[in-house]
Amino acid sequence: MKFILAVLLLPLLAWAEPASTLRATELKKEPAVDAETLIELPENTAVDAAERKGGWVRVKARGSEGWVKMLSLRYGNPAAAKKGDTGISQMFNVARTGSSGTQVTTGVRGLDESQLANAQPNPNELAKLEKFAADANGAAGFAAKGKLAAKSVDYPK
Amino acid sequence: MKLLALAAALVLAGPAHAQFNLRDLNVNRLVDTVKNVGKATREINQEDEIAIGRDVAARLVGAAPLMPNARVQRYVNNVGRWLASQTERPDLPWQFGVLEAPEVNAFAVPGGTIFITRGLLEKMGSEAELAGVLGHEIAHVLRKHHLKAIQKGAMASLSGEAAGAALSNVSSDARHKLVSFGTEMYSRGLDKGDELEADRLGVVIAARAGYDAYGLPSVLQTLQGMNAADSAVALMFKTHPAPGERLDALGKRMQPTLDAYADQAQLQQRFITETKASR
Repeated sequence: MKFILAVLLLPLLAWAEPASTLRATELKKEPAVDAETLIELPENTAVDAAERKGGWVRVKARGSEGWVKMLSLRYGNPAAAKKGDTGISQMFNVARTGSSGTQVTTGVRGLDESQLANAQPNPNELAKLEKFAADANGAAGFAAKGKLAAKSVDYPK
Repeated sequence: MKLLALAAALVLAGPAHAQFNLRDLNVNRLVDTVKNVGKATREINQEDEIAIGRDVAARLVGAAPLMPNARVQRYVNNVGRWLASQTERPDLPWQFGVLEAPEVNAFAVPGGTIFITRGLLEKMGSEAELAGVLGHEIAHVLRKHHLKAIQKGAMASLSGEAAGAALSNVSSDARHKLVSFGTEMYSRGLDKGDELEADRLGVVIAARAGYDAYGLPSVLQTLQGMNAADSAVALMFKTHPAPGERLDALGKRMQPTLDAYADQAQLQQRFITETKASR
């Protein structure tokens, strides 16, 4: 039953990302500049975004389905309320750690401003960090396992 | 001899009363001061850079400990070390850590230490995305963005003598102040130009290592879809240009590089397998 539910949900999840066009952009049949243009999407067109391929993202927009350049999309839905907390978890953090952030009594830690400002050196954690470091040869072997090959690419001028 | 002449010149150029007290001046001390001012303004050597970074890193892991998962830590170190090997500073003591914190952020520490938070790792979907973010942080170390900011801060807030001591002497009081300042800097952020430069270099470093160059833009788009008022991203948004601005800047300067290396490896499956303990 759970499995069937998951299968039914899959197609919905695949289109779960709301986005909009940053500028007027062509909706292409294939992820390529020379592919057929299906329609012209004006700036600020709402789209449903799916997977990315290279510099292209598959989208549904205005009843058509095709590909747009990734950098012409803005993710998120500016019209609707955005996901994420509204400072409520921040309030909880304050409640748990004391308003100054210095009286941590419950072991709750994190990386907000006051926690950075009040951080004390932790030599034990630093020693662990050093222990996990990889050497150049080990990392090269790891890269080879992933079929990663080094290339020469210039920094931009 | 040159230093003495300089010291003498400084005294003569000073306020009138200094000339009257010339006989009481400790010339050796003055020479030291001049030397240290020189030290504070010149480039910090690599040994001092690493030592300063070690002190700052010790504080960052004091703010949030490492995620207690050796497999994830080793994985991120392998990706990071492979990226660093493709740069002009391959021999720094590079080390990478995932911090156990829900906030979405990453930090570059002088000398080759890079942190990303569990919160940021959870937002990623492939090794190419991780490589893009680590590439950005590696670029900060390569260009010494934080080191220069720390040096500037030391010179602005300490006397020339104390700044010189703080930058080269591990045990001085001034050094303690300097490291506090260096840690707080992660709350203030770098110049916008430094961040945009790190984005451009990060894309190149990931491409050199064989990754899909769109990894970093892809993470930026994920961040763009988050609410800036969310406390998990508040600090990161405060200390960086808005994701939209960063994407726009990458599009303007890096489109040819992005497209030339768009079909390289993403390694989604390896990323998911190696990091699932963090999910």
